[in-house]
Amino acid sequence: MKPSGILFFPAFDWAITPTHPEREERLLYTRDQIFEEGIMDLPQVKEYQPGLAAPKDIARVHFCVPDIPAQITEAHLVSAGSALVLADAFMQGEIKNGFAIIRPPGHHSMSVSHGNRGFCNINNEAIMIEYLRRKYGARRVAIVDTDVHHGDGTQEIYYNDPDVLFISFHQDGRTLYPGSGFMEELGGPLAHGTTINLPLAPRTTDTGILYALDTLIMPLLEEFKPDLIINSAGQDNHYSDPLADMRFSAQGYAQLNARLSPDIAVLEGGYSVETALPYVNMALIMAMAGIDFSNLREPDYVPERMKESAGNLEYIKKMVKQQLAAFRQREEVIARNRKTDQHFHSRHKQIFYDTDYIHEEQSVKLRLCPDCAGFRLIESTAQHRNGQYYRVYCISIPINACPACQAEARSYYGDLSGNSRYDFIYLQDRIDDEYRSIDTGKDLEKVL
Amino acid sequence: MLIGIDVGGTYTDGVVFDRGEVIATTKVPTDDKDIKASVLQVLDRLLEQHPADDISRIVLSTTVVTNLLATGSWERTAVVLIPGYGLPADAYGISEDTFFLKGGIDFRGRELEPLDQAELEQTGRQIRSAGIKRVAVAAKFSNRNDSLETKAAAYIKDNFPEMEVFLGSKISGKLNFPRRAVTTYYTALTSREWNSFVDAIEEALAERGLQGEVHILKADGGTLLLDASRSLPCETVFSGPAASTMGALAISSDKSNAVVLDIGGTTTDIALIIDGSPLYASKGASINHRYTHINAFAVRSIALGGDSSLTASPGRVEVESFRRGVAACFGGGAATVTDAFNCKFNLNIGDPRLSAGALRELAGQAGMEPEELEAAVVDTVIGRLRDSIQNMFKEWENEPAYKVWEVIHKRKFTLDKIIGIGAASRAIVPELARVMKIEPYIHRYADVANALGAAVARPTLSVSLHVDTQTRQYNLDPGGVKGSLDNAGKFQMEDARQMARRYLEKIGAERGMKSYVEESGFFMEEQFNMIRGWDSSGKLFDVGIQVAPGFIEEFKGVKA
Ligand SMILES: [Zn+2]
Ligand SMILES: [Zn+2]
Repeated sequence: MKPSGILFFPAFDWAITPTHPEREERLLYTRDQIFEEGIMDLPQVKEYQPGLAAPKDIARVHFCVPDIPAQITEAHLVSAGSALVLADAFMQGEIKNGFAIIRPPGHHSMSVSHGNRGFCNINNEAIMIEYLRRKYGARRVAIVDTDVHHGDGTQEIYYNDPDVLFISFHQDGRTLYPGSGFMEELGGPLAHGTTINLPLAPRTTDTGILYALDTLIMPLLEEFKPDLIINSAGQDNHYSDPLADMRFSAQGYAQLNARLSPDIAVLEGGYSVETALPYVNMALIMAMAGIDFSNLREPDYVPERMKESAGNLEYIKKMVKQQLAAFRQREEVIARNRKTDQHFHSRHKQIFYDTDYIHEEQSVKLRLCPDCAGFRLIESTAQHRNGQYYRVYCISIPINACPACQAEARSYYGDLSGNSRYDFIYLQDRIDDEYRSIDTGKDLEKVL
Repeated sequence: MLIGIDVGGTYTDGVVFDRGEVIATTKVPTDDKDIKASVLQVLDRLLEQHPADDISRIVLSTTVVTNLLATGSWERTAVVLIPGYGLPADAYGISEDTFFLKGGIDFRGRELEPLDQAELEQTGRQIRSAGIKRVAVAAKFSNRNDSLETKAAAYIKDNFPEMEVFLGSKISGKLNFPRRAVTTYYTALTSREWNSFVDAIEEALAERGLQGEVHILKADGGTLLLDASRSLPCETVFSGPAASTMGALAISSDKSNAVVLDIGGTTTDIALIIDGSPLYASKGASINHRYTHINAFAVRSIALGGDSSLTASPGRVEVESFRRGVAACFGGGAATVTDAFNCKFNLNIGDPRLSAGALRELAGQAGMEPEELEAAVVDTVIGRLRDSIQNMFKEWENEPAYKVWEVIHKRKFTLDKIIGIGAASRAIVPELARVMKIEPYIHRYADVANALGAAVARPTLSVSLHVDTQTRQYNLDPGGVKGSLDNAGKFQMEDARQMARRYLEKIGAERGMKSYVEESGFFMEEQFNMIRGWDSSGKLFDVGIQVAPGFIEEFKGVKA
């Protein structure tokens, strides 16, 4: 039996600010617990060394404004790179599954990155997925976002990709950051139904979440048949998390991962540094490594206090039914959406960066292609924290785009290259794995 | 004058070293059943030439504890574990007599659950009825709070006075409960036997009128006063590879990156030196396939040596993991690895005609030309050694890192030389170095470098301090010392450093190594602010200070 790969990168020398939830201390007690348990010494577990992501790995997913160095620290390169290390180990058959216990997190980062949103600058899971698609030809991927916050960044990145099934359960956006992730967010016109949200009522317990897992998430995975299952593994559904209000336990996390059996899990949020994280991280390692977790629990866990209400269970049942139906109708809806003479589908968006207080305005055009899921043209403006104002143009060609789309998208890049209306123009061509940017002020092009 | 004695698997070596030169050497076959006798035989031979009065220091590297643990011939011993919540009980199959007690401590040293008195009584009775008289007690996070271990031990001692009890918190303060439990168990297994060895040696030395200091070489390449070793028998495991690594450093003495190859009769020990410092096993010494908290050099042993036997079958030749005797060139009769190198490279070892004859015979059996057979043996040997060295590097490069700084400044490594130790290294190392395109280094003292390394190694000591200013508690390792702070509110990193240093000085004085305390350095300094809400509620400090492996003051290198 192959071991589970564990990559523990607590970034003991990185913090957003000294008292921020994302601070040096966050994984300290997790370190103490997993080291004291000696779980890394067991034959079921193999510990990996962190790696560094290359700028190109980031450009495959993000339009960093104005450039990659402006948006990341070395810690981000290590965090994203560490997910890649486990991804390689998994694809090369060294491990049966992998868990990257890494920080800083990433699931609130969207395609365009003007700054830090929800403690994230770059999206570790998306960087890993695009790396896997490029390097190993993995095509269909399912991401199950088990963080208490809606994984809005990952959702946005894959909203128009019918080959990526993004499922997020989270505390209802009406009661928690980032205020999105509602039932009706089902994907773009040509990728309808492969984004599935389950906004749960505050104080939902193990019973409610595991019910949703068994009756919605597992059937969706069964039907979607992904090449890879990724757990975007936040730990802030825990009953002691200071930033959210759910009632999930370490046992619940262990059960969830044992049943979900993700190929790779990547740590996201979770800010109950002493009461939850040491035990939840143990729970995940044990569940993924197939170690009996019945003796694991938090010291203050009282099961009687975590009873699910009948009303809430009923509410979840209803949502599950509705989302199953939405998923199963996806092909019909997409076919209907394709029957249009519109060349582009356009949307206007406003995006708020809570950590950096940035207001971004976006207009997004999606090519409604008869042969593929199209490409995106994103116009984005934002004033950064340093006062600098940026207007940028981003062209994103997904790896599954058709040749006509690729050619058309690339032609926009050529046409716009001298256009001083934009400070920066970016081309992200995942088919040719080529990433270009033009600084129009300096008339300088960079190619990755 | 200094004496170093290294008990090896096949031979026990001894040297007398004085002012940069080895002035006497001796060698006797090791008697595994009576290590003390082998040690004293070597000692007496050395003392024949040099009077006891002139000997200022003796260092022994022995296999007493290693052998006891390897043979499994120990007295039945119970392990009492207090693991609390976490891994299942079956993760800890340390001894067949393992007992579990309720009780829990967390990472901050807070008691989560007390002992269950009735369960403790019952466990004591079970251990007694099994006739067991040695008990190792270990609790999870006992390095942060030893109260459960101490209470359980006190109860056992009071109510079952025939039992000798060993506590995990006294053995190691490092994180990793299974390793602490295993090390405590191994200590319980070997303590009495080690102590009777120490008694016998002390008596024998007194009889011979030796007044100088007597030290034991530890797995970390440092020495420990014989008397101080009584409570830490496991520290003496793997002192053989430690001796050869210290010997390699003593004869090469520079800051290079090197691989040390100690080629014995049937085994080769490989160790790495990085920037002049020996590399440690990151998970602690592994004994009987279990990790321990014993700090040891990262040594890879492979079953291949100068005496390794050769076996022919039609069209091929095998290099065996055993020996039939010494090499043919020394009158052993059958061809060995040494003979193959001797002929292929015209090394003139022993009587080369005997090597050639034995190889010719073997080549006949294989249906090969002798040259062809020699080349095949050389290729196999060099290939195995090279692969082992490269794997060690790969493992070292893949060591985890937990800070951004460590990942960004990833260690880069180029090998400067191969240091050959042991008689057979003269035959093998030059060719290996040529193939690997690095410089070979074989000193004139290569054959006795182990005993020399032991003779000149200095004492080592490592002290770790964990401070929690919110709970006001601190824990010191070694010894499981704990206490509470009276200046928790103002406690800073500098206070932690001073506290660790004071404790190092105190133990250093107890262990007769005061003069080395000056050369101590901090190897770990960690500080975390505890934030609850948006305010600081305290700080956590982890500080480590050590006297690293090195050489005694009077050692100024060996004369070229
Ligand atoms: Zn979250
Ligand atoms: Zn297309």
